[in-house]
Amino acid sequence: MSQFLQAAAYGLVQGGLLALVAVGFSLVWGILNVINLSHGALAVTGAYVAWLLNTRFGLDPFLAIPVVAVCLFALGYAIQRWLINLVINAPIFLTLLLTFGLSLVILNVLQLAFTADDRSVETAYASQSFVIGTVNIPYGRLAACLLAVAITAVLVVMMTRTRIGRAIGATGMDRGAARLMGIRARHIYALTFGIAAALAGIAGAMIATVGSFNPTTTPTQLTFDAFVISVLGGLGNMYGALVGGLVLGVAESVGGLLLTGTWVNAIAMAVLIFTLIVKPSGLLGKAQYSGRV
Amino acid sequence: MSVAGATSEELARVLHGRSRTRRELLREWIRSRTIANTWPLLLGAAGFLAMVGLQQAIEPGTQRLLASVFMFIALAQAWNIIGGYTGYASFGQVAFFGLGAYTAAVLMTNYNVSFWIAMPAAILVGIVFAVVIGVPLLRLRGHYFAIATLGAAEGAKEIVNNLTGLTGGGSGITIPTFGTNSPTPYLGKPGFYLAFLIVAAASIAIAAALARSRFGYAMIAVHQDEDAAGSVGINTTWVKVVAFAASGAIVACVGAFYGFQQIEFYPQDVFDSSFTVLMVIMVVIGGSGTVAGPLVGAVGLELLSQFLRVNLGAYNQLIFGAIIVAVVVFFPQGVVNFFRDAWQTRHLSILDNVRRYRL
Repeated sequence: MSQFLQAAAYGLVQGGLLALVAVGFSLVWGILNVINLSHGALAVTGAYVAWLLNTRFGLDPFLAIPVVAVCLFALGYAIQRWLINLVINAPIFLTLLLTFGLSLVILNVLQLAFTADDRSVETAYASQSFVIGTVNIPYGRLAACLLAVAITAVLVVMMTRTRIGRAIGATGMDRGAARLMGIRARHIYALTFGIAAALAGIAGAMIATVGSFNPTTTPTQLTFDAFVISVLGGLGNMYGALVGGLVLGVAESVGGLLLTGTWVNAIAMAVLIFTLIVKPSGLLGKAQYSGRV
Repeated sequence: MSVAGATSEELARVLHGRSRTRRELLREWIRSRTIANTWPLLLGAAGFLAMVGLQQAIEPGTQRLLASVFMFIALAQAWNIIGGYTGYASFGQVAFFGLGAYTAAVLMTNYNVSFWIAMPAAILVGIVFAVVIGVPLLRLRGHYFAIATLGAAEGAKEIVNNLTGLTGGGSGITIPTFGTNSPTPYLGKPGFYLAFLIVAAASIAIAAALARSRFGYAMIAVHQDEDAAGSVGINTTWVKVVAFAASGAIVACVGAFYGFQQIEFYPQDVFDSSFTVLMVIMVVIGGSGTVAGPLVGAVGLELLSQFLRVNLGAYNQLIFGAIIVAVVVFFPQGVVNFFRDAWQTRHLSILDNVRRYRL
């Protein structure tokens, strides 16, 4: 029993981290209708920025978050404004291909600059943990998880209460109508992508703190997880990614306890296919996006 | 005579025209051949013979390189059937590749079956798998279909990985190819050159025949507007599943040859999703929904990537990625479609082309 509680607790904090990766991915997919295959690459870029700041200046990764967010926002804004906007009206696999090519470029630049070695940001507290009953919870992961929840909440407030957030939502619902209302769609799209990139960067910095990362396997895994979580949680709802992330985290962690061999890798697939067959709009998805299924 | 008074037989004759024998149809088909409608066939046949002749003039190393070009031609043509013509962007076609390779390898290794029986069996497995996953997954559209098939491919990989008794699991499989206990002697570089050449030619022929048939128009109709296609009497589920199965069959056949060529391989080699990505890139860059597009894309990109790998070492992936980005931005509809439209409208402007899909 305690084993299950431990697995569930670990799954929850891990899920919070995954949710932070997925929030931006889900935002871009919902608003821009783009599957951003470079999302994992952007997250790893953020991880490298945090790692650089830590090794060069000894900056704590949690304090490095503003810097990471600004760097990644600028990168994301530029990518969307001057590259993805050029093919945004093309058939779907063009944006897939474009972001795939971008991901190759970003990751190979990172690999040439920093080699393919595993890296991690060392902190005094990340490996320590506290105990509730029989359950052991690491500080670093808990902090990352709480940060994910806080950022999602801020994003929800931003999307529903501010002019910019409402402009983003309106552009996602009907671009033509939004442009007629004087919303600059090119700018809004770039802004949305920039926000998503910043969130990915923050998630990457957290991943670097609680674990290790490299420019070869980490990004693919992150992009795929983000995809599964977005489908599971549903599009058009900021909480969707959060709930999806927590569910996937717990499912993988408890599944890892019950299954042997490499079957664990198939859990995310199974969750994905099951969701698509039973409820393609996801747990919290809005009906307006189900037409895309 | 009024229509109302006509018997059903008379009406049928009016609607379907005079019934003609097979012989008459053949004669008319031959009579209707002109240079304008035969040149692709002639060009294809000439190209095939030229490649057969070329084999005599090149070294085994070059033959191996060209064999991989032929392999990607077949894979790209196969992806084009479901992704280009039918409009269902499958990101899981590598599942068929891996299943084909493993079916052939398991039959040859464990049951000592000849490759020439194992290869058709692999095609059969590909068709069955296409029907089994196609019926539920082809209900999804767009991105959802793309990623569901990606998931199905990963699932197939995990199944092969965990059926250790049959497939050897993660420790791989080795086909006995030399000595007395090998079911089929190894084909060698010249043999695989010919084999992949024939598979590529067959896949082009199948794609061309499908594209010009009634079924081909049904596929294009499903691509353009599935609801409208259904409303004019096309069984869209049937069209999608058959297109998926045809594509899967070709990929499984290629996979069987690839597995035999590799002799020893692991699940992550033949279920490597970069095969799928390459198929998609080749078709989209060449021009999806055309027969020439995948051919141009596969030849161009495979030769380019081989060149980069040999000459640029560490930078090859970086430059490959940059080229993908550039081609997607400058030729979003594919190279073949771009030049065909430019020829037909006598208007060649890359700048206008970039404006086509931008915001």
